[in-house]
This record gives sequence, structure tokens and C-alpha cells, in this order.
Amino acid sequence: MTASLGLLAAVLAAASLLVGAAGLGVPDPVILWEVRAPRTVLAVLVGGGLGLAGAVMQGLLRNRLADPGLLGVTGGASLGAVLAYYWGLAAAVPLALPLGGLAGALAAAALVFALAARAGTGAALILAGIAVAAIATAAVAMALSVAPNPFALAEITVWLLGSLEDRSWRDAALAAPVVVAGASLLLPLGARLDALALGEATAESLGVPIAATMRIAALGAALAVGGGTAAAGGIGFVGLIVPNLVRFGVGERPGALLLPSTLAGAALVLAADIAVRLVPLQQELRLGVLTALLGAPLLLHLALRHARLE
Amino acid sequence: MSRCGRRIPWRAVLPRRPRRASRAGWRWAALALLLVARAADAKPARVVSLNLCADQFVVALADRPRIAALSPLAADPSLSAVAAEAAQIRRVRPVAEEVLPLQPDLAIVGPWGAARVAALLERRGVVVLRLGLAEDFDAILGQLRAVAAALGEAERGEALAVSIARELAALPPSPAPRRVLVWQARGFVPGRGTLPDAVLRAAGLVNAAPFAGYGFVPLERLLADPPDLLVTAPAAGPPSLSEALLEHPALARAAIPRARIDPAWLACGGPQTMRAAAALAR
Repeated sequence: MTASLGLLAAVLAAASLLVGAAGLGVPDPVILWEVRAPRTVLAVLVGGGLGLAGAVMQGLLRNRLADPGLLGVTGGASLGAVLAYYWGLAAAVPLALPLGGLAGALAAAALVFALAARAGTGAALILAGIAVAAIATAAVAMALSVAPNPFALAEITVWLLGSLEDRSWRDAALAAPVVVAGASLLLPLGARLDALALGEATAESLGVPIAATMRIAALGAALAVGGGTAAAGGIGFVGLIVPNLVRFGVGERPGALLLPSTLAGAALVLAADIAVRLVPLQQELRLGVLTALLGAPLLLHLALRHARLE
Repeated sequence: MSRCGRRIPWRAVLPRRPRRASRAGWRWAALALLLVARAADAKPARVVSLNLCADQFVVALADRPRIAALSPLAADPSLSAVAAEAAQIRRVRPVAEEVLPLQPDLAIVGPWGAARVAALLERRGVVVLRLGLAEDFDAILGQLRAVAAALGEAERGEALAVSIARELAALPPSPAPRRVLVWQARGFVPGRGTLPDAVLRAAGLVNAAPFAGYGFVPLERLLADPPDLLVTAPAAGPPSLSEALLEHPALARAAIPRARIDPAWLACGGPQTMRAAAALAR
């Protein structure tokens, strides 16, 4: 499963280099290396980060609806990036953009995990998370409405739905270390998540430090989502759909989902980013539109099949 | 709505209606001018301009004490060629509650936005001059004369029109016709029949835009078929993704020759448009 998802992501990454406004096929080297390559790398980083963060959050919170977008982490990252970008901080200090995204994601993640510790029930967590997400989304819209640049409000779709249009190596270089740091925190959590699947008391008796694991997971998810969102805006559904899709292939064990979800997340965002370039519009469709359109029906199909099997 | 009409916050300033509508607006301007002509022996003393393009004519032609107010964008240096002057003059939004207390005796409006307040002012006996779109130098000179007549400054207007026409005629012929693309935020491009197109022609250049009216040229397509000169008008203001595109590193790697001009030169057809043509001809 992992190998085939890796192959799928690699094939899609190659296809991503051959698709664009300049036409299908191998383009001029400048277009290939300066436009399509950074875009492809960013799609892998953003998608991988979202898929992995989704898998970890679902394992840790023992809730299949836990998703960085649904619970406000992506919205928080968008807000942090928007505040850092439109008021000139990112122009003065380039690192301020991913750090702004990280700070917003971290605040939202801390809130969600604190709510998880208190909520008791999965439904209460999801409700609280949706409230956090709604506040973050409204705050992004508010910030862009009062931003000093006249184009800011039109760019609301980028921050709420995500786009990789015309990103450069600068964007990829800023996002990469943040996302990779997040992934290096999250990927080793597999064994702890497996133990947590048995319940917190059992996990604790197996020697899993619950509070420390929560903190590492929150920081890792904030890094993995925040870095990518600062470069591409908030792409929804990836963190929700991907782990649920991967479960059909690799089973329920949370620890086994992490690497396949990373690869599948990258593949889904790559596929969406190829699709937005194939739709002939004057302005590209936003990625969130495609991730939902591609991912949700697949999830629905598998969920219905799953229900029949049971 | 035209295809370029989506989510472009330049709505208030960029001329982009189809030409037919522009001609119709132009007839209205001429009609208004007739109405104005009779009242013109007494010069209007409280002039209100409710449109950025009109602001630039009014500032060029009217003495400061006679200008009661300009439009809000007049003082924005990234859009207005008269920002420094306008900073010293009162500015109002084109809404009745802000305009009426000024008790204007002449209001100059553009093709958008102020239709309701203009009708209201007319009902109250205020002379209203409606300016259409200036998409070439003939239209600019025509509007210049119309505004000058309404202001009772026909001589000043004629002198300015003659000097602009003389400068235009004196532009050096281009040694070789170069394909030039005017690339604005988000890859928004003025094609044939637009004001920037007229500026390029006046400068002896060829517009590389593959369409008439306004449209988009994406980064990849620009790189796949680069123009001989890429003209952008960077605003010095706060950042946006739309404008960040204009400095994408791939443009430097492709070594496309660049010219950066003052964004206020192309926002409106006016006395300052000549400066854009002169700068591009060099």
C-alpha cells in the first residue's frame, strides 16, 4: 500500500511538471524549473503535511472526523499568514510568513487539544472544533476586508480555499523546513497512537506519556499544516478524507496510517493541482474546490461500501 | 459584465467598458456640455469632482479655492497623478450625505458609481458634467476641453490641450516596432482598443496582448512567448499576492527586458497620460 501510494504520488508529481497554462508536455526550461517545479514540490509538502496531520489528529483524538480544516488549525494558519503578509511583516522578514502561519496553527491546535482534554465526548470536541474553525475563517475574512491593499479582498479565495498558482522556489524554501520539522515530530508517533487506540488508561499503563504526546502532536500538526498553509492558503478536506481513504487499504491501526496518509495527501493535492490547471478558466479554480470534489465522492463511495460489508 | 470584470478592485478607476457604451457616455458628456455652456460666463465657484479621472482634469484647470472637493482616490499616490495636490484639498465619497453639504454649483462625475448622487444633484439644480471613458488621446483632449468649458477656463484648457498635442506629435518615431506587454496585478492585461494600448501606439510600440479589451495573460504563457518589453506599474503600497506575481523570479531567469512605470499614469486618461507615452518612447 505504502509503495503503491508512493508510486502514485511520484507519477502525479511527474504529470504536474507537464501541465500548465503554457500547454501540455515538456515546456521551456524556465517554466519547468521556475514555475512548475516549485509548484509540484509545494503540492507534495502541503498535501503530505495535511494528510499526516489529519492521520495523527484522528488517531490521537480517537475521532475519524478530526481534521486540521474542520477543527480550525488550517483556518488559524491562514489567519496568521494573512496578518503577517498584508501588513508588510513578511516583506521585511521573509520567515515571518511561515512563522505567522505556524503561530496561527499553533494557537488553534492548542485550543483544539485543550478542548479535547476537557470535552469528554467526541461530539463535544467536533462541535468546539467547528466553532474554532468558524472563528478562524471569519477572522481571515475580516483581516482581508480591512487589509490596506485593494487586491487583498479578492485574494480571500486563496486563503480560504487554497491555491498553488505561480508560487516560486522562495515559497517552497520557506515552507519546506517548517513542514519537514512537523513531519519529523509526527511520523515517530505511530507506536504511541497504537497504544492510545486502546484508551488513555491502557496507554498510560503501557508507558505512553499522554500529556507529552498531546503536546508533541499539537506542535507537529501546527508545523505540518502551518508551513504549507502560509504558502498555499487553507486547503480543506485533505486531512479528513485521506486517513479515511487509507484505512480501507491498511486497516484501522492508527500507527500504520501515518506514512501512507502522508503519501496519499501529497497525491490528492497533486491531483487537485493538476486538475485546476486543466480546467480552462481565466483564473484558476481553487484547490479546496477540487480536493472536496475529488475526495468527498470517493470517501462517500467507500463509506457506503463499508456500511454494506458490515 | 465583461470577462475582465471579475473581482478586479480597479473597478473604480480602470476604463474597461465596451467602446459602444463609451461613445454613448461621450454623447451624454456633449449634451451636458451644451447645458453647461450657458451658465459658463459665471464661473462655478464650488466645484466637486466625484471621479478620479475627473479629479486630474479639475486639478489641472481650476484654481484651488474653487475646488470644493475631489474624490477619495485623488490622494492615493498609487492611482492618482495629482496625489500631492489632492492631499491639500478636501475629499468626499460620492454619496449624497457627503456631497450635498458642500453646496456645489458644478459636479463632475465619471461613468461609474456616482449616478444616483449625480441625478440628485441635478434635481437640486446643480450643473452635472458626466465624463465618459477616455480610451485614446483624442478622447482625453475632448474631455479636457469639456471640463475646461464647464469650469469657465476654456483658454487654460485650450493651452493645455495644444501643449499635449504638440508633445504627442514630437514623440520620436520608434526605431523598430517592439512587442510590448503591459502586465498588471494578477496578470491583468489591456488589449487592443484600451487606453494603455493607445499609449503604446503613441510611443511607437506594438501591444503584444493577443486580444481586444481587457483580459489575463498567465505567467506561463508570458514565459512561453515573451514580449520584447514587459511593462509593469508597481505600487509602492502594502503587499498583495496579485502584485507579487509581477516580481516572480522566473521573469528574471527568463531575462525579459522590463520597464516599470508610475501606476498613476495608466489608471486614468488625463493630462498625465502623456507622461506614460513619453516614458515608454524612451
